Amino acid sequence: MSPSADHATVDVLSPEVYQYGDPTTNGLPIDLYARLREHEPCYRHTMDDPAMRDSVWVVSRHEDIVRIDRDDETFVSSKGLNIQKFHATGGSMIHLDGPDHRRHRGVVRTAFTPRAVEAYTDGFRSLARRIVAEAVQRETFDFVESIAIPMPLNAICNLLDVPDEDRRQLLAWINAFAVVTDPEMSPSPSAAAEGALKTGQYALQLVEQRRRRPKRDLLALIVEALDLGTLTTEELASLGVLLAGAGADTTRNTLSHAIHELMRNPEQMAWIRRHADDIPREAIQEILRWGCPVIHFGRTVVKDTVVAGQEVCAGDFVAMIFPSGNYDPKVFDHPETFDLTRAHNPHVSFGVGPHSCLGKHLAALEIKILLEELLAATTEIQQVAPIAYARDSRLRGVRSLPVTVARG
Amino acid sequence: MKLLVDRDRCDSHGNCVLEAPDVFDLDDEDTVYVIEGVRFEDHTEEIERAVAVCPVAALRLQT
Repeated sequence: MSPSADHATVDVLSPEVYQYGDPTTNGLPIDLYARLREHEPCYRHTMDDPAMRDSVWVVSRHEDIVRIDRDDETFVSSKGLNIQKFHATGGSMIHLDGPDHRRHRGVVRTAFTPRAVEAYTDGFRSLARRIVAEAVQRETFDFVESIAIPMPLNAICNLLDVPDEDRRQLLAWINAFAVVTDPEMSPSPSAAAEGALKTGQYALQLVEQRRRRPKRDLLALIVEALDLGTLTTEELASLGVLLAGAGADTTRNTLSHAIHELMRNPEQMAWIRRHADDIPREAIQEILRWGCPVIHFGRTVVKDTVVAGQEVCAGDFVAMIFPSGNYDPKVFDHPETFDLTRAHNPHVSFGVGPHSCLGKHLAALEIKILLEELLAATTEIQQVAPIAYARDSRLRGVRSLPVTVARG
Repeated sequence: MKLLVDRDRCDSHGNCVLEAPDVFDLDDEDTVYVIEGVRFEDHTEEIERAVAVCPVAALRLQT
């Protein structure tokens, strides 16, 4: 493929590519990904939009994504993570490198280890049961609005002890800053900035309320870090934005993509129904590969190097296309097949380096429990209108997914 | 084959605990350690997987 001749047709970073994605290919431009991996695994993409960077390198192969994500001395996070210039989470750990990153992560990491997360099981189970019961009694409903949004939103709010009555407002702020390119979710750039600011202020307010009634939990770790001076007030606010945004706006999309694919694929739906008492870890990992919630994160090159045969220079920005890595046939057998029994599955949906998702074990547990409860409460789930994707090339958002269920 | 565990690099991701639960655990400080009395030769595949998924190269195999 000649780079100059085909650039006009190869675009995997415009928000419209995902908004108008093909539901039969998981909403993803998988043919374009394949062409890039094969012919131009590190290609220069230019943009003519004041809200975006002028040019970025698009990295599409699994091996190159793994290398970039793991080498945080050559590829840094502190100069931005996205092709969009707006950063709601600036100042939080995902924008830090080296010791600063470890200091921030160290404040909360103990609440997200596999053992810590296991302790949330009963709470998540009753939460999922309540959400599913409310939805299925209506029989026909929007899966996104009634199930995919409330589950992770309430899960992270429970962890942070956010009062019930504040959660809807918090969600509106999160939507405004998380998907800035979709007018349905974020009305304007100023709404995005305000959403992030309000969420940060709210985090500080939660800390103040907490001082009056102490308790051992995630919020307590954050309060302690503030008191010990491990985090400044500003850093705490940005941590609040990160936890709220990452907690509420990623798992909801993985859940929606997963249920969409299960409805399209009766064989896999039958398989998961047979295993709904205790969905195996392999099945959850396949759901995570398929429902990868982040389309791209990027790094800034600080030492000249070569990526996939292409020279990249200090100052350049490289965008890792995670779903493309998850479809790399060099790593995954028949990657275009959704296979809940897939054994070898080193997906990159959580990232694979020092910045690998803090909430990865939490997300896996939320998805497992929610699906188990949904399958137990129903005998059939069917789609009644097309899935609608968000206008975004950063998060793989789903706006709506209307379904009807037969109650069990 | 020798397993090297660099506890200073560990950042409590816990991926190794899920890949090789009979071999690795996190201590009270959430830092990785090798469970006492484990016979590595009984768990070579799990150990290789755990090493491969460690996001911060706290686990390495030396041949």
